[in-house]
Amino acid sequence: MPEEKKQTIKPVRENRTSLQLIINVVLIALVVLTYTYGWNVTQIDLSKLAAPPDGLKGLVGDLFHPDILARDRQSYRAYRTYLIPCDAERQRAGAVGEGISIMPDCGNIGDIVTIAGEGLRPNTSGTIAWRTQQGGTKILAQIETDDTGAFSFTTRVPEAPPGQTVGQHGTEVILRWEEGALRMSETAKQVLAKMVETIFLALMATTMGVFLAVPISFLAARNVMATTRLGMTIYFLIRLFLNILRSVETLIWALIFIVWVGIGPFAGVLALTLHSVAALGKLYSEAVESINPGPVEAVQATGASRVQTVIYAILPQVMPPFLAFTIYRWDINVRMSTVIGLVGGGGIGFLLIQWINLIQYRQAATAVWAIVVVVATMDYFSAWIRKKVV
Amino acid sequence: MLLEIKNLTKTYDDGTQALKNVSFTLSEGEFVVLLGLSGSGKSTLLRCINRLVEPTSGTVLLNGQDVTAASGAELRRMRRDIGMVFQHFNLTRRSSVLRNTLSGRLGYNSTLRSALGIWSQADQQRAFQNLSRVGLLNKAYNRADELSGGQQQRVGIARALMQEPRLVLADEPVASLDPVLSHSILKYLEDLNHEGIAVLCSLHIPSLARRYATHVLALNDGNLMFNGLPEELDNDRFKEIYGQDAESLED
Repeated sequence: MPEEKKQTIKPVRENRTSLQLIINVVLIALVVLTYTYGWNVTQIDLSKLAAPPDGLKGLVGDLFHPDILARDRQSYRAYRTYLIPCDAERQRAGAVGEGISIMPDCGNIGDIVTIAGEGLRPNTSGTIAWRTQQGGTKILAQIETDDTGAFSFTTRVPEAPPGQTVGQHGTEVILRWEEGALRMSETAKQVLAKMVETIFLALMATTMGVFLAVPISFLAARNVMATTRLGMTIYFLIRLFLNILRSVETLIWALIFIVWVGIGPFAGVLALTLHSVAALGKLYSEAVESINPGPVEAVQATGASRVQTVIYAILPQVMPPFLAFTIYRWDINVRMSTVIGLVGGGGIGFLLIQWINLIQYRQAATAVWAIVVVVATMDYFSAWIRKKVV
Repeated sequence: MLLEIKNLTKTYDDGTQALKNVSFTLSEGEFVVLLGLSGSGKSTLLRCINRLVEPTSGTVLLNGQDVTAASGAELRRMRRDIGMVFQHFNLTRRSSVLRNTLSGRLGYNSTLRSALGIWSQADQQRAFQNLSRVGLLNKAYNRADELSGGQQQRVGIARALMQEPRLVLADEPVASLDPVLSHSILKYLEDLNHEGIAVLCSLHIPSLARRYATHVLALNDGNLMFNGLPEELDNDRFKEIYGQDAESLED
């Protein structure tokens, strides 16, 4: 094989001028300046991430212990009297319940007494409290009954406020336990009710948005409106209107509607509807603009009116993209409806922000998990529908 | 005179002069073939007649009535008398064959009724008859895009027939079909021509013009170059229309 000599080729490159060099340096300096300023103005401080406050651990822990299930709470209360000083003549009043005793049952402040129980509910925790004559209560200890339902606790008669030392005192034992089948906690019930509200909020807003956006989209489509000067004017006005609507975020619309119709889901529905109309109006009108013009001129040629042309030549063509955009909007609305409550627009966000402000992280975690489950389910559901219809 | 075109000129917004002072007449019962290269103004001429394209100047008279001056409902009523068949069939692909056929009747029906899809028994019968005429009655409930090209064009003809037109404009009706299907489609047009419907049909192929036309028009760069009988279309004329380099494709 003959050896081929490879010829190296090289394009001519115009020499860089010093002006280009200066421009490049200035550009780089500008970029550095921009990001330095951005770093400072947004107060980025990575060391804060490395040293989390103690509260974070509790928060994360609570996130994994949402308040979902609970059992019925039961309690058992028993009360025995104690006289100061001992007086056999004196009437005692108010013993309640079975199974506990106090030995001895009279004496003085500081005396040793033994409070014991038997035949109570086994392996159950509770409290022992001391009550003075006037009803003042002081928790003495946490107790737990053994396998046979017995406990024993020895202590000294506690100090009483001045003027209450003499007379009938007593000891109160309260056992608390949970019993019965697991059921939804109060938190879960609240979350469920608000979640239903959230989903319907998204449904109403999407539906109302679609019904408004469909006619508007035809008015915002150039190929439908460009036939007359009046049509073009309407087209530009509608486009402008949609652009203004879309440039304001849903949460801000919600704040405006809250002033108008008050706090609650209705304000949220209005805000989401408005933003859906703006977004869908644009997407739909672009679908209308990208149709095949052939069927339109064919239907026009038969002597059909403008509305008839839309229904017979345009609607059948835009049905699939309209459906796809509607499902996409439904996804967004479900997501948005979970946070619109943060500003008072109804739905689950209202509970979430309330619990976070009250530092009830377990409850807040319940709401967060509910949002995750619902949004993921709806995503899956709409993907399924998309596959079926589009 | 069924159709009278006087000094028709069309200049598009970009400055293209598609039609330059075109005048001709068309009588009842004629089958007029319009020849010319792509871009010679054939489509523009056909679309100016039913005002799918707005003429810049000139007049179109249909049965003595001025189409160019009509507007709104009046124009729509005139359009009912002019059926149109298209190169790319222009069916609504996702709709049924029946619905596509019925859409030819829209000009006779109120917007509300047709919007709701309510069609009279008479209109439905008419649709079935026209579909049966083009041999597609058993495809009435199929989606239009399930049909072959030739079948779709036959639906296009059935749609035009729904209008009970006095004139059918056909814009390259066989250009996107297999050559062997050309005669089948043109025969349908010839049949309805024999029933008294005038046809103005643009075509690419001169041999087809000689076979079907009672009269031939030819456009070159927006000018009407030829207006005469098909027999007069000899080789010199042919080169005038299509340019000196053209070779007639005779089959």
